[in-house]
Amino acid sequence: MKCARCLLQLQCLRLVGQSARSAAQRGALLQSASSSQPNALLSTPHQALRGFHGSPAHAKGRPVPAEFIDDDDDEKKRDKSLVAHDDLFERVAKEVKTKATFNKVVDVFIKRDVRRRGHVEFIYAALKKMPEFGVERDLVVYNRLLDVFPKEVFVPRNYIQQMFNHYPRQQECGVQVLEQMENYGIMPNVETKVLLVQIFGEKGHPTRKYQRIMYWFPKFKHVNPFPVPQQLPEDPVDLARFSLTRIANDRDAKVTVHQLPCTDVTESGEQITQPHIVGIQSPSQVELLAKHNPSRPVFVEGPFPLWLRKKCVHYYVLRADPTPPDEKVEEPFDPERCLDYPLQLELDLDRDLGDEESFDVEDLDEGPVFAMCMTGRGDQAVLNQWISGLQENNPILGQVPTLFRLEAGPRELQGAADTESAHYHHHHGPEPETQKEERQPQEEEVTVEEEPRTSQRMKR
Amino acid sequence: MMNVNRIVSKSVQIGQRLLARDTRHAGKEVARLQQRRSIRTHSRNLAYAKDLFLGQVNKAEVFPYPEIGNEEVDELNQLVAPVEKFFNEEVDSAKIDREAEIPPETLNGLKELGLFGIMVPEEYGGLGLSNTVYARLAEITSLDGSIAVTLAAHQAIGLKGILIAGNEAQKQKYLPKLSSGEHIAAFCLTEPGSGSDAASIQTRATLSEDGKHYLINGSKFWISNGDMADVMTVFARTEVVVDGVKKDKISAFIVERAFGGVTSGKLEDKLGIRGSHTCEVSFDNVPVPVENVIGEVGGGFKVAMNILNSGRFSMGSSSAGMIKKLIELTAEYAATRKQFNKSLGEFGMIQEKFALMSVNAFVMESMAYLTAGMMDRPGLPDCSLEAAMVKVFSSEGGWICVSEALQILGGLGYTKNYPYERYVRDCRILPIFEGTNEILRMYIALTGMQYAGKELTGKIKEMKKGNIGMALGMVGKKLRSSLGSPADLGLTGKDGVVHPSLAESSKKFEQNVGLFGSTVESLLYRYGKTIVDEQLVLKRVADVLINLYAMTAVLSRTSRSISIGLRNHDHEVLLANTFCSDAFFKNNYWMTQLQKHSPENNDANIKKIAREVLENRAYVCSHPLERTY
Repeated sequence: MKCARCLLQLQCLRLVGQSARSAAQRGALLQSASSSQPNALLSTPHQALRGFHGSPAHAKGRPVPAEFIDDDDDEKKRDKSLVAHDDLFERVAKEVKTKATFNKVVDVFIKRDVRRRGHVEFIYAALKKMPEFGVERDLVVYNRLLDVFPKEVFVPRNYIQQMFNHYPRQQECGVQVLEQMENYGIMPNVETKVLLVQIFGEKGHPTRKYQRIMYWFPKFKHVNPFPVPQQLPEDPVDLARFSLTRIANDRDAKVTVHQLPCTDVTESGEQITQPHIVGIQSPSQVELLAKHNPSRPVFVEGPFPLWLRKKCVHYYVLRADPTPPDEKVEEPFDPERCLDYPLQLELDLDRDLGDEESFDVEDLDEGPVFAMCMTGRGDQAVLNQWISGLQENNPILGQVPTLFRLEAGPRELQGAADTESAHYHHHHGPEPETQKEERQPQEEEVTVEEEPRTSQRMKR
Repeated sequence: MMNVNRIVSKSVQIGQRLLARDTRHAGKEVARLQQRRSIRTHSRNLAYAKDLFLGQVNKAEVFPYPEIGNEEVDELNQLVAPVEKFFNEEVDSAKIDREAEIPPETLNGLKELGLFGIMVPEEYGGLGLSNTVYARLAEITSLDGSIAVTLAAHQAIGLKGILIAGNEAQKQKYLPKLSSGEHIAAFCLTEPGSGSDAASIQTRATLSEDGKHYLINGSKFWISNGDMADVMTVFARTEVVVDGVKKDKISAFIVERAFGGVTSGKLEDKLGIRGSHTCEVSFDNVPVPVENVIGEVGGGFKVAMNILNSGRFSMGSSSAGMIKKLIELTAEYAATRKQFNKSLGEFGMIQEKFALMSVNAFVMESMAYLTAGMMDRPGLPDCSLEAAMVKVFSSEGGWICVSEALQILGGLGYTKNYPYERYVRDCRILPIFEGTNEILRMYIALTGMQYAGKELTGKIKEMKKGNIGMALGMVGKKLRSSLGSPADLGLTGKDGVVHPSLAESSKKFEQNVGLFGSTVESLLYRYGKTIVDEQLVLKRVADVLINLYAMTAVLSRTSRSISIGLRNHDHEVLLANTFCSDAFFKNNYWMTQLQKHSPENNDANIKKIAREVLENRAYVCSHPLERTY
């Protein structure tokens, strides 16, 4: 019942919508097709009416003027070859491939033949061409494609037809349209359903496919707790801001733009491009860093890749090795801490095993991460700027030796020699030369050891 | 161990009887005794509420209901009449609320009545009254929330430090002026970043170079009377050397505004108790002479705890006073207002509200005066647990009753033409100040758990080791209790202390206590010392204990009333039985929830909901009108 009402409503809607839309679209098409005005006026109401009486018999009764379809001689010739429909697309959209031209092609096809001869081939070709025209995510276009199928012809009329694969090629093609929609994550709407029911009937394979899609898609639509927007921000600073908050996953974390991208022209006429530097740090990270033992170095590591849909960005982290167990100091319990109630009980009783709800997890101390950043150019000088920026809130960074352990970034793939030179030391505070030299071999060792860990992280 | 306990309690019992006789015959002397009370060093092992955790009723502590001598009663009546008259005639609460200011003449009137030094001994110019009388006066002062809070900030916490931990010189110097109301006191503990957490107190006192002064720097928040106080008890961090190691410890100081460097901020605009002044107080290099340290340097934590613990008991009688007043007002309305040719009081749902208010007021009163009476006993009885229970019960009961009273009037009650909305606003502070109810519940439950844990550790360890004899004994005990021989703790029967007309209620109480004892034991068995982190469990433990203490108080009070034939004691029996049976079922439900794998217990879900909401920092669900297709 409900479905029937929907069908009716939609048809009415479509009637209005289509007549308006098609008037515009077809107007354009007609102009290019250089057909006469009266014909155009004639064809529009015909199109609109089809929504109500979709039977081929009815359509037969109204012959479409011949000159409308056979506007081009070339077309007719090529129609006979197998690649005809691909070509149709190529020809119509010679210069620009847009939604409008795609629609134009579909219109041309629809109007060429009342019987829609070769519609299956046409639809397959159209499906293939959709990404080229940038309409692969457009529900309206998919519905228009389905509209190419003649209505009511393929609806099984008795149970035997229903049992067997009635018009298998057509049904397969219909399923294919839905499959492509599914692959692009396009959710069909009620109009799709109305079309499918008109074309293949209530129990056709495409209609069932539609039902399955409608069962799963809504359930999966918001299943990702960390959705990536369809349109990523264009501005690298905005993109960095988005990516960093995404990795940090801490609502208190504060993003700081240490440097905006800009281009300076020096006196000698050289152009110097300053890359953007965007960092993120949360209050708890500030706290952790403040407690860091200044005699142990902190590391700047990276770049690590982060994929956002089809885009890959890279980030850098400031981290330290885990505190060795002998250096860990537990805060002594202060019985005079809470004014109102005892924070600990002086009892010699532990929790019963039967009430132990925690799992036995082997904790591996990975060492703290103090901050993260993204930059347009991941060389040491730039990252150094980031570290100095961080010093504003983390004065301890002035005393802690900072080691840069940069791997060959995406831009430095060609120069293997550069990679080696990237591993070197940096101290913020002045330090005697001898000490620096002492540290050198040790640091290289560390770098080698680090390799598996970083590669592991990259896999994640 | 048990025997020793029993002997101690026996001797205490005898001592009490003797003293009780004293009280009746020589009221005056008792007052003097109480003044000397603070000098006594011997501390009695008073542990009524704690013993409940072991499933024991220390009936000598709470039966018979404490009373005051005839002379004291006369004195009290003489005192109460003028105070009551003053509050009825001179105090314009609506105006105080509207203008957020207690007029000076009202304050002067209060000073003349001596209400600024109710508990200060007479030798220091106060009235030198007992806790019981203080509670009685609190009933009247609570009719105006602003005045009650101003007075409480002055004497229940403000000058309490000097009174209980100050030395003779400090008392001589400060108490006379404070008790006359010439000087007003304030208690400065809370800081922007520190409520109950003493470790985050930032205010610092540093010894000057000549060693004669401490310089106090820092600021304190939400100080009642902060703008008008002349003498303040200030808690600050000081450097103390313990075992050769320098450490920061809290010390308490008496700071006069006259020392200089004390500034108070803008008055807070509050929901209720608008006439009381609350503001920030800042200390900028305030020089405080070393002799103004209360107690020892570094001993401020204990001082603060004692002050806080001793100030809470009076909230029971305050709430009761307020509810009694509201019952009068609303009963008048319910009797006269007609709907459908019936007076409002004939409708069941309205009747329920009156019953609720009466039961609550009755229970609060009983608890408050039982606790006050216990505190008035010689020695330094530690009634902090009981006082905390009174505070939690009465602040929550008060809130419910006040809002029900407003409900009786419906829309009228919501307008400013009637005092109900003011009472609702004033009342809202009760569960918040003097230790929030959440924190007090932790205190109540954990103190008891600590006590019970010390007693039971050995037994539980034996059980865990698999001592078969012990286990069998437990099984036998469980069987016996389940086979319908309910715990008999001797409240009724031959040596009974409860009047026979309350036998039913008393049995229910005993049954609850027995079950509570075994519940505590199983909780200790299950959680051990990690029970500190099980706040939802502790909350139920505290709630059950509060109900048990409330049941004790009503049983004891009503038994006394019947025995001495007080007017309308049959109504008391009715209230007592109603409350006890209500509390009995609630307790049973809570204790069922505390069982392992109890289907009634929703704690895991509750925690999960909260965790998800807090992760999201907002309501999690999508809007019901949203759609995905």
